[in-house]
Amino acid sequence: MVFNSIKFVVFVLPVLFLYWSFFRKNKVAQNVLLLASSVFFYAWADWRFLFLLIASIIINYYLALKIRKEVDDETKQRRFLYLGLVFNVGLLLYFKYFNFFYESFVELVNVFGITSSYTTLAILLPLGISFFTFQTLGYLIDVYNEEIDPSHNFLEFSLFVAYFPKILSGPIERASKMMPQIQERREFSYEIFVDGLRQILWGLFAKIVIAENCASIANPIFDNFEGQTGSTLILGAFFYAIQLYADFSGYSNMAIGVSKLFGIQLMRNFSTPFFSTNISDFWRKWHISLTTWMMDYVFTPLSFSLRRYQKNGLIISIIATFVLVGFWHGANWTFVFYGLLHGIYFIPLVYSGKMNSSEIVAKGKLFPSIIEFIKMLLLFVLIMLTDVFFRANSIKEAINYIVSIFSYDIFSIPQGMFSSNYMITIFLLFIFFFIEWNNREKKHDFEIKNYNIFLRWSSYIFLFLLILFFGKSSETFIYFQF
Amino acid sequence: METLTIKETISGVLESTLEHNNFEMHDELTAKDVDGWDSLSHMMIITKIEEAFNIKFKLRDLNKLKNMGSLVSVIQSKI
Repeated sequence: MVFNSIKFVVFVLPVLFLYWSFFRKNKVAQNVLLLASSVFFYAWADWRFLFLLIASIIINYYLALKIRKEVDDETKQRRFLYLGLVFNVGLLLYFKYFNFFYESFVELVNVFGITSSYTTLAILLPLGISFFTFQTLGYLIDVYNEEIDPSHNFLEFSLFVAYFPKILSGPIERASKMMPQIQERREFSYEIFVDGLRQILWGLFAKIVIAENCASIANPIFDNFEGQTGSTLILGAFFYAIQLYADFSGYSNMAIGVSKLFGIQLMRNFSTPFFSTNISDFWRKWHISLTTWMMDYVFTPLSFSLRRYQKNGLIISIIATFVLVGFWHGANWTFVFYGLLHGIYFIPLVYSGKMNSSEIVAKGKLFPSIIEFIKMLLLFVLIMLTDVFFRANSIKEAINYIVSIFSYDIFSIPQGMFSSNYMITIFLLFIFFFIEWNNREKKHDFEIKNYNIFLRWSSYIFLFLLILFFGKSSETFIYFQF
Repeated sequence: METLTIKETISGVLESTLEHNNFEMHDELTAKDVDGWDSLSHMMIITKIEEAFNIKFKLRDLNKLKNMGSLVSVIQSKI
């Protein structure tokens, strides 16, 4: 049941009505309704793994309490933490990576001349597992580090893990931000509610207009890239890079927007990442809930333990963190390589000491300077080429694709360039990035509450019409597979 | 060691790492208030502070650092 489906509307409207009418009296009623809806939502998506989700909730709930109970005995405390790490990481490894490691191992053995055949297990990937295990992992580590108190309320903790707007694809929430909101009764706020609606509208536009139109151009090019001209391949990579962004940021905006309708603020997941002037800036704005998670729980401990090695330690930590970021996306060497490349891009920044600068590009101005514009463009090209690894089925395929770009006919006119599909998509992209650019200093891409009433309503109607005329229905999101 | 001396040493570390001194030292100062003091430069600052006071932090100490005041008291507890 994706957000942009009629089924979801039919599901969410009665829940919303009940939530703000019969169930609004106290937080327990609100939480019971939200949890029941979340269980229904997850079961609808895939009931087979509901028990896994419930088991994960129960085990993490008790482990956190145990960790806190043994506060005077660090050895015992650590034992419970390790138990939690083994459980959560084990779930991920088994469901997501078992076949990958198994196949890689058999191939390695084959290299040494021992031939063995293998049959992989038919393991299905439980929906949202990469997202909710990271959330529970972070929770246990925070409790261990005494940054938060463990939850003593099973209902609230279950909702923290299973809350339906974010269970399938994030944002990966933190207990420190989300638990306090669940622990109090939500008051209806017209302003937050309307802001949520705006964000949903923007997410819909990004997903079914921008992402789907870009996909309709990028897919045929990627599916038959051999024999295409270099210039056509560039366009394929270009539209894929934007598709990937619009698909996932659109999804995130819808998730955050839906949650706002219930008065719960989730964390921002994207903040106009293409308006960045260096790679570190880009990662501060791209899939923020994952990168900050990796920062806190992987990069910081790692760079802390390697701090004697100064800049080299920093570089090793950055590369290891990004390899993990890549690998998180899926059991394929293409993702590992994608992460590795991004880690390597940081090296010049570490040596020049410029990795710290993070500013909104051309803050308070209408246009960027020429230098800012060139930097953004070069960074985009780099990301676009790296995204080929994200899209390709194998590293070999991705390298072939990139080599073909530079092989011949790179300056020719791309195939189908003047077809109406291309022209319309480019026009839509112009609108998309124009609105993003104008709102790059705001809390989200479509926070237009300060516009006057005429401008506001014409924006709504305009987006609505674009969705109506240029929207393409889609029942899936790129990030659902992760 | 006196709080003031500790703060002066920290100021020196910050200045040499971040290459500017656009910050005012006070107990409520946080990394967010200082330009360029982010998760990446944080480790360099921590290493230099360890060297300057000849102490060793634990990862858990690091997580407890909320502002300048808590940094100073953690350092004081170690020397």
